[in-house]
Amino acid sequence: MRKEYGYGKYDNVITALQFERLLSSFGPTEGKVSRPSDGKKPKSIGWIQCVGSRSEQLGFPYCSRVCCMYATKEASIAKEANPDIDITIYYMDIRAYGKDFQQYYDHAKDLGVKYIRGRPSSVYENPDESITIKYKDTLTGKIEESTVDMLVLSTAIMPNKDNKRLGEALGVDVDENGFFKQDSLLTDPIQSTRDGIFLAGCIQGPKDIPDSVSMASGAAAKAVAPIKDREKHIGKEFPPERDVTNEKPKIGVFVCHCGKNVANYLDVEKVTEDAKKLPNVEYADHMMFVCSEDSCKKIKEMIQEKGLNRIIVAACSPRTHGGLFQDTLMEAGLNKYLFEMANIRNHCSWVHSDDWNAATDKAIKLVSASVAKARHLESLTEEEFSIYPSTLIIGGGVSGMKAALALAKMGIKSIIIEKESKLGGRLRHLHSMFPSDMKSEEIIDPLIKEITKNKLITVMLDSELEDLEGYIGNYKGKIKQKEMKKEIEFGTIIVATGFREIDLKGKYQYGKNKNIVSQTELETKLKNNDLKKPKNVVFINCAGAMDEERPYCCRVGCGVSIKNAKLLSQKFPKAKTYLLYRDMRVFGKEEEEYYSDVLKNYHVITIRYPGDKKPEVVLDKNNPKDGPVTIKVYDDLLKEEMTIPADLVALTVNTEGGAETEKLKNMLKVPVDAAGFFIETHAKIKPLDFSTSGIYMCGAAHYPKNLVDSIAQAEGAASRASIPISQEKMKGEGIVSEVNEDLCRGCGTCESACAYSAIEMKPHPRDPTRLVAEVNRALCKGCGSCAAACLNSAIEQKGYKSKQINVMITALIEQGAAK
Amino acid sequence: MNKISDENVDVNALKLKKGDLVKEVEDLCGENLFGCYQCGTCSAGCPFVEDMDLSPDEVIRYVILDKKEVLNSKTIWLCAACYTCAERCPRDINITKIMEALRQIILRKNIDRTNLTDIPMEEKGSIPQLAFVCLFRKNVG
Repeated sequence: MRKEYGYGKYDNVITALQFERLLSSFGPTEGKVSRPSDGKKPKSIGWIQCVGSRSEQLGFPYCSRVCCMYATKEASIAKEANPDIDITIYYMDIRAYGKDFQQYYDHAKDLGVKYIRGRPSSVYENPDESITIKYKDTLTGKIEESTVDMLVLSTAIMPNKDNKRLGEALGVDVDENGFFKQDSLLTDPIQSTRDGIFLAGCIQGPKDIPDSVSMASGAAAKAVAPIKDREKHIGKEFPPERDVTNEKPKIGVFVCHCGKNVANYLDVEKVTEDAKKLPNVEYADHMMFVCSEDSCKKIKEMIQEKGLNRIIVAACSPRTHGGLFQDTLMEAGLNKYLFEMANIRNHCSWVHSDDWNAATDKAIKLVSASVAKARHLESLTEEEFSIYPSTLIIGGGVSGMKAALALAKMGIKSIIIEKESKLGGRLRHLHSMFPSDMKSEEIIDPLIKEITKNKLITVMLDSELEDLEGYIGNYKGKIKQKEMKKEIEFGTIIVATGFREIDLKGKYQYGKNKNIVSQTELETKLKNNDLKKPKNVVFINCAGAMDEERPYCCRVGCGVSIKNAKLLSQKFPKAKTYLLYRDMRVFGKEEEEYYSDVLKNYHVITIRYPGDKKPEVVLDKNNPKDGPVTIKVYDDLLKEEMTIPADLVALTVNTEGGAETEKLKNMLKVPVDAAGFFIETHAKIKPLDFSTSGIYMCGAAHYPKNLVDSIAQAEGAASRASIPISQEKMKGEGIVSEVNEDLCRGCGTCESACAYSAIEMKPHPRDPTRLVAEVNRALCKGCGSCAAACLNSAIEQKGYKSKQINVMITALIEQGAAK
Repeated sequence: MNKISDENVDVNALKLKKGDLVKEVEDLCGENLFGCYQCGTCSAGCPFVEDMDLSPDEVIRYVILDKKEVLNSKTIWLCAACYTCAERCPRDINITKIMEALRQIILRKNIDRTNLTDIPMEEKGSIPQLAFVCLFRKNVG
C-alpha cells in the first residue's frame, strides 16, 4: 500500500472494501456512513482510484477492472442516501466499459458525484482528523488541495497469496502477478495449463460478477465434458405433497427487512403485527433476510409446527426470489403454488423512500391483499414434457463455434446456422486480436477444422432461421438455405449473432474520403496488405459513442485502436501515430500491459479529448475525395486546439446488435435494448439466459466483448443450454390458462390474443360439431392475455383467477377505507 | 496559449530536427517518456510547482509533442532535483532525470552562457547570491 496516502497512519483513510462494510446493513455501522475516528457522519468523502493498480512502481502493472464501477456504485449509494455529503472521485481513466456501465457513470454524475482527473500525490491529516488531498486537476491544469472528512482508497485487486502454493499442488502455472495462467488467452481462456483443471472468475485475473458467472458456467461445461457415462440429471427430490384441499387456510406471513433495504424505510414490525390480525393468518414474523438459509429453514419448521398451508413472503420481487421460496414450500411438502409474494421493497420502500408512514401503510395493504388471495390459492400441477436432445446455434462466429464444441464435448448434438458462406464470423474480416498479436486465422482455422470433423455438429451455411415454433425442449425451426427450405428440430437455442459497426451517417466525413476508414476496414486492409504508406495516422476513438444519441461505450474500441496503432507502427515505422481518446478503457487480462508497451515501444501519441468537443475532420478543398485531411482536436490536458495533418484516419466506430436482431427478436420473442443487443434475464445472476426458457446468448450478441470474454461466455452458454438437454423430461408452468368448454363460444378471440401460439380451436370433446379453445399447457406462459380477451369469461388464469384478483382488490379498498 | 513568457534560448539555434527532442531527452536520461499517463502525481507533489510556468507533467507532454519551447520553460531550472516526483510516479518514470536532460540539452550547446563581466555593477549588487549560483550552473553544467 502506498505510504503517501496515509493508510494505517490516519484513522479516516480506509479502503473501498472497508467502505463497502460501512454501507452494509450487516456492517459495523449498520449501513450508516460514519468516520472511523469519531463515528460522525462525514460532510465530504474522497475516493482515490488505481491505488496500486496500473502501477509499475510500488504496485501491479494490471488494471483491477472493477474499481471504477464499484467506486461509482459506493459513491452513488452514499450520495443517494445522504445528498448533503460532498463526494469526489480522483481518477486517471474511468473504465465504464460494460453493458450499461457508461450510463451508470453518467447517472452518478447527475446525482452530484464529482469526478476529477488527477492522481493525488499525497495526503496529510489535519488537527480535526480530516484529510487534505494534494492533486493536480489535469483538466483545469490547476494544482489544488482539497480537504475531506474521509478518504477511501480503491486498492488493487491482488491474487490470493496462496495461489502459488495451490498452483504448485495442482501442477498448473501461475503468472508473474500470481494469477493462474490459461492455456491460451485468446483460444482457451478457461483451460488452465493442465488437462482437467479449469479456471473460473478472479483466479485468472480481476473480473466483475457477470464475467465471472459466465466463466464459471463455461468451466462447469468443460469440467462435465470429460466425465464419461454420467447419469442423466434427475432433479432435486422433494417429499410427497400434502393434500390441502380440505384444510381450512392457515396462512404464514414472513416479512423481510432486506437488510436495510426495506426496514430503513418502513415499519416492518407494524406490517407483521397487522398481518397477525388478519383472518386465517396463523403465524407472522419478520426477518433480516427471508431468503437466507436460516430463514428458509424457519419457514419449513413453521409449516410443520403450525400446520401452515399457505405462505406469504413480503419482500422483493417474485421474479428473482419466488423460485427459491417455492422450493422451500416443496421441501416442506406443500404445493409450490400455495405461495404468494407481496413486493414491499420495489413498491413501497424503494418508491416511497422519503415517506415512512405512507410506505408502511402501503406495505400493510399489499400484505392484506396477498392474504385475501392466499385464502383462495389452490394446488396446481405442472405438465411434463420430453426434450429434443440437440441445440440450435444461431451464428457461426467464434462464439457460436466455441459453444458448439463445448456442447459436443458434453456429448450433445448441435446445428450451427450461419448466414454467410463460411464459418468464422467477424474474425474473417479482422487481422489479429487484442491483447496479443495472434492472427485471426490462427484462431478460426483450427476451430473450423475441429467443427467440420466433429460428428455431433451440423453446419448449415448460407442459412437463416425463417420461422420458429414450439417451446423449450421441443422447438421446430424452418431454415432457409439459399433456395432450399428445411425443417429441423431442437431442444434449446443459443443466440450468437454478434455485432456490427453503426452507421456514422457522414460524421467525421466518413464515406467521403478514401483515407478515412473504420477499424474493421483498416483491419481488412491490413490483412490484405492493401495500405499505402502513410505519413501521419490518426485514430479517433468513440466515433458515435457516449453521446446523446448513443450513450454507451463499445467496450472493445480502445483495445482495437491500440492494437492497430501498433500494427501500423510496425509496418510503417516512419509514420507518426496519434490516438485520440476519451478515457482509455483497457481492462482485461494483459490489456493494460499491452497498452503501456505500445505507448513505450512505438511512441504512439495519445490525445485525450473532452466529450463535448469532438474531433473534427476537415477535407482538402482541392482534393476532398482522395487527398490528405486535417484533424482538429482539443487536447484536454494541455487545453489547446491541435491541428494534425493525416493521410490515414481510422475511426473506432461504435457498435450495435447484428442486422438480424430485429427479425430474431420477434421470432424468439425475446427483448433487445436500444442499441440492438439482447437483454439477459439478470445482468449479474443470469447473464447468459433469456427470460424465455430454453434460449441463451453469448458473445457480442449480448454486448461487444473481446475474444477472452466471448469464449468464456460461449462455453458458459453451452453449459446453460446443456442443462435441459441432460434431463430427459422437464416440467412446465403450473400457472396456465384453463378453458371452461361449456362457456366457450369458439369465437377465437383468445387464439389471436395469444402471443405464444398456445391456443388452438378444436372440436368440443362432447359436442364435436362446435369448436372450443384448447390450451397447450407446455406452450402457455401464463401471461393472462387470453383470459382478459375472452368475451364470455370462459378462460381463467390459474393462480390469478378472477375471484382471487377480486378479493385482493376488495382487501385493498377495505384497508384503504378502514384508515 | 503560450504559458512560457520569456524566450531566453533561441530554440532554433539548438538545431534539433523535427521529432528529435524526445529522442535527445530519452538518450540523455534513459527514461521512456511515452509511458506517462499524464496523471499529475508528479506535479501535485512538486515543492516548487507554484512558481513553475509548466508543471512537470506538462513538460513531459511538451517533449512528447515535440514542442521545443519547453526549453525556455522556467520549470527545468526551478527543479530542485528532490526526486519526490520520481519516488511517487506510478509509471516508474524518473522525472527528475528528464529535467536534467532538458537542462543538459541547453548547457551542452553552450548557448545560454552568462559572462560575469557583462553584468553591470549595480545589478551585481542587487542580484541575490543564489541567482549567481544558478547562472554559473548554466555555464558549467
